Amino acid sequence: MQTKEASGTRPDPADTMSAGSDSETKPEKKTRTPEQVRRRGTARKWGEISLFTGPALLVFLIFVVLPVGLAAYYSFYNWNGIEDLDNFIGLDNYRRAFGDSAFVHALRNNLFVIVMSLLVQLPVALAVALVLNRKFRGRSFMRMVIFAPYILSEVITAVLWLLILQPHGPLDAWMENLGLGGLRELWLADLNLVMWTVFFVVSWKYIGLAIILFLAGLSGVPKDLQEAAAIDGASWWQIQRRINIPLIAPTIRVWMFLSIIGSIQLFDMVWVLTRGGPAGASNTIATYMFQYGFMRSQYGYGSAVAVILFFLSLIAALLYMVFVLRRDNIDEGKRR
Amino acid sequence: MMANITRVVAGVALASSVLALSACSDSTETNPSASDAPVTLTWWHNGNNDPLLTFWADVAEEFEAANPHVTIEIEAIQNEDLQRTRIPVALQSGDAPDLFQQWGGGELAQQVDAGHLMDLTDVLADDIDRLGGAVAPWSYQDKVYGLPYTFGVEGIWYRPSLFEAAGIDSEPATMDELVDAVEALKAAGITPIAVGAFDNWPAAHWWYNFALRQCSKDVLQASGISLDFSDPCFVEAGQQLEDFLAVDPFNEGFLATSAQQGATSSAGQLATGNAAMELMGHWNVFVLRGILADEGIDVDALNADLGWFPMPATTGGKGDPTAALGGGDGFSCYVDAPAECAELLAYISSDDVQRRFAEVVGGLPVAPNAASSVTDANLVELAEVAGNAGYVQLWLDTTYGNNIGTAMNAAIVEIFAGIGTAQDVVDDMTEAAANQ
Amino acid sequence: MSAVTEQTEQQEKDGVDADYGRSGFDYGKLLAITVGLSAVAVTLVPILYVVLGGFRTTGQLAENPAGLPDPWVFFKYRDVLTSSIFWHQMLNSIIVAAGTTVGVVLLGTMAAYPIARYNFKFKGVLYVIFTLGLMFPIGVAALPLYLLLRDFGLIGSVWGVIIPQVAFQLPITIIIMRPFLKALPKEVEEAAEMDGLTRVGFFWRILLPLAKPAIITVGVLAFVASWNAYLLPLLVLQGDAAGHTLPLGVQQFQTRYSSDTAAILAYTSLAMLPALAFFTVMERRIVDGLTGAVKG
Repeated sequence: MQTKEASGTRPDPADTMSAGSDSETKPEKKTRTPEQVRRRGTARKWGEISLFTGPALLVFLIFVVLPVGLAAYYSFYNWNGIEDLDNFIGLDNYRRAFGDSAFVHALRNNLFVIVMSLLVQLPVALAVALVLNRKFRGRSFMRMVIFAPYILSEVITAVLWLLILQPHGPLDAWMENLGLGGLRELWLADLNLVMWTVFFVVSWKYIGLAIILFLAGLSGVPKDLQEAAAIDGASWWQIQRRINIPLIAPTIRVWMFLSIIGSIQLFDMVWVLTRGGPAGASNTIATYMFQYGFMRSQYGYGSAVAVILFFLSLIAALLYMVFVLRRDNIDEGKRR
Repeated sequence: MMANITRVVAGVALASSVLALSACSDSTETNPSASDAPVTLTWWHNGNNDPLLTFWADVAEEFEAANPHVTIEIEAIQNEDLQRTRIPVALQSGDAPDLFQQWGGGELAQQVDAGHLMDLTDVLADDIDRLGGAVAPWSYQDKVYGLPYTFGVEGIWYRPSLFEAAGIDSEPATMDELVDAVEALKAAGITPIAVGAFDNWPAAHWWYNFALRQCSKDVLQASGISLDFSDPCFVEAGQQLEDFLAVDPFNEGFLATSAQQGATSSAGQLATGNAAMELMGHWNVFVLRGILADEGIDVDALNADLGWFPMPATTGGKGDPTAALGGGDGFSCYVDAPAECAELLAYISSDDVQRRFAEVVGGLPVAPNAASSVTDANLVELAEVAGNAGYVQLWLDTTYGNNIGTAMNAAIVEIFAGIGTAQDVVDDMTEAAANQ
Repeated sequence: MSAVTEQTEQQEKDGVDADYGRSGFDYGKLLAITVGLSAVAVTLVPILYVVLGGFRTTGQLAENPAGLPDPWVFFKYRDVLTSSIFWHQMLNSIIVAAGTTVGVVLLGTMAAYPIARYNFKFKGVLYVIFTLGLMFPIGVAALPLYLLLRDFGLIGSVWGVIIPQVAFQLPITIIIMRPFLKALPKEVEEAAEMDGLTRVGFFWRILLPLAKPAIITVGVLAFVASWNAYLLPLLVLQGDAAGHTLPLGVQQFQTRYSSDTAAILAYTSLAMLPALAFFTVMERRIVDGLTGAVKG
């Protein structure tokens, strides 16, 4: 659907011409090409470029790049946020982070969410999308409902599940009613269970996104391919495996990227749900950073953790660019 | 966290009607220099709920009325946001409020060292005398940098009816008796003790009490300054906690139990009679009532069935057996604040305002002259224990400051979770001390 | 708006009908409906619990956590709907989200235009700089950003939320706008040239209207991101609850009225509804935006 949509929304050049300037323009008249226009004056061109990109660049540099740069700067100091910033300690904060088992545990938790998302969310979402990829009454409604949690804020999602998961709360009652009372657990209090609980809530909120993205990808797969395969006697599963899944591979990669970046930066939901507890068992890098930076006033150390968080995101992004966006870059190269 | 007065008072909304009456009080001292140029005072406090919110607003209004040149701008901020984010950043940025929440102890010392606090020793000498020993946590190196408005000690709150049901006939005075009580309650199918370990500090307070009994007064008080935790008594405190945890005295799922939020919190379990005991500070009676009021449950049953006893004695420790842990809330003036800030602080801690704080808000005041305004039987007993204590040790997390305090609390909860040892607590505290 | 609806309908018609293998009883359809309904149930039950819980009393909730309202009580919702704080927070959320959206759309489209349609040195660098912004979660910069906003006197002001949000939302906006603007045929520019329009005039009078579909997409994404934001409003809009946005309000309400579960449920569901309503209208845009964003 997405591919279709993108091309569908692009205005037809002919339409634009007629709608925009038909009465005044004679299409056959040869005009200056954009290249000639550009040659008319580099000064003017740069003026225009600055005019257009200037405001955005300014806001971006001041409110994104500068604070991140400052975080990097603070990360070389032992600083409690109160006293003067004069205790330069080089890379000690970074050494300390990787030597701290609690930080490594937080890192592992992020990895857990990444890996589990790929191992659980991906197959489930793909299966649901493949099954739902057909016409039936109520399909739009179903799709909308499945996607709905994505639109809820992480805070609201966490508050919602906090209330549901509390001991002797509704979940326990539902399980009791279903005869599963024996499986009742301390969902948020059990050290070994809490990350699974967090992962479940994360999945509840975000799996709809995967399903919807995959469905959008699937609707872009040419119908005749599938029909031809069906006529050739291919089974439903063969069609999925040979045609649909390979053709939506780009969409799957897109989702994987979103999922990995989201998992690395996981904060709001864990913070409201568990505050990283019990006993640090559900800390993510971001909650760990918040605990040190804001709660323990170790702004220098917290900043170092923030920088590590940034680099992990960056690595994920670079890998994504190398493996997924390459096609786009090649196109650009050719055009030049 | 000792500033839990925020939540503490959440339930006592009824009292606010009395407030209107006392607001007319004419006891405000008139300021001789009232003809001064206009001054604006900013005041940050954690009373973002009634009745404290209205109470402080009234106090500010009274002060403004008596000092027409003063305008007070109040910002009431949620406790954790205020303590952990707003104040540190405001101080760092050099644009701090004039009067702000102060918990004393190590945090205050750090702020003094950074040159952020106004020395009140001489300006408020009379008030410091009037308030007496309670001011100690707000002083540093023999100078006073803030005044408290509430202070109390902690002990175990319990439901006598559940003790009775389990056949316990007296308040446990020793750890052995407490363990016996725990076993008796468990045998009767009652959750013995609720603890809100989700919030870390309520669990950590068990360790504090063991440390208080195990460490000599000198060692404990010196540790607040030297930040040296090498005395074996600190590890022993953790071992005593481990021993106590071995009898499994706490509620199911205590790691995810919050202290004060709703019926499933530790306070909620005590309030609804689902647990028999809770170790908690002087504010607890208001938390318990507040929860019941929110749940729509009559508080009379609780009021008729709530007891308090001091933390039981341990054996073999070097600590003063009558010592108690306590803490309170107060305010400090920013170093560059106008002189009127100290006057406002004096008014806040005046006997009259303190009495109304007890009567209207239901808090435990600091001023000795306001003590008679406290009527709740448990609070009266608690005040007596505090009065007879060999010494009152400020909550250890406040004593050591935010950084070590948070590390310590987290490490203690790891003992509760079964993934940390008594030695780990001391190690983490030592490491945090090295990194500040 | 109507254009969007039309388009959505159009897509609905175009939607691929994957009904192959239609001999006899359609097990595939049965499976699809079963799977779909299960997914709907898993999604809806927690949301319904919150919505219905608001029609119960806290006593009812304590007695039977999973039950239905019996009797239905309306005062929890009424209390929220008649509290000025809730409406203040709603208004704040709307102001912040609208401000962020307008700012992002304007600045983002302006910045994307030369990147998409000019040829100049540093163009690639510029694009990469903006793209890298996608990797900065606001949490990384929270503390220095806070200090910066204080220096600008923006703490406690909605601008202190709007401006940084615009900044942090720029990358995804530019990433979505660039290919869209790039795909517009050259002839459009040439025609404008012949009409004597300057590049600036062209941008305002021709490009912006043409870019409407992409603008709606980035606008919706910015609006949703702002509506759900937590950390930045937490740092900037402190103090008086009447100055909070809804997510902040919900979280603080949850701690403040922690014992009154029914009230929390009512508050949460009312805070949830605008987002859900907005979403039902804009679902397609959001999906497109998200796919478009990362495909570049």
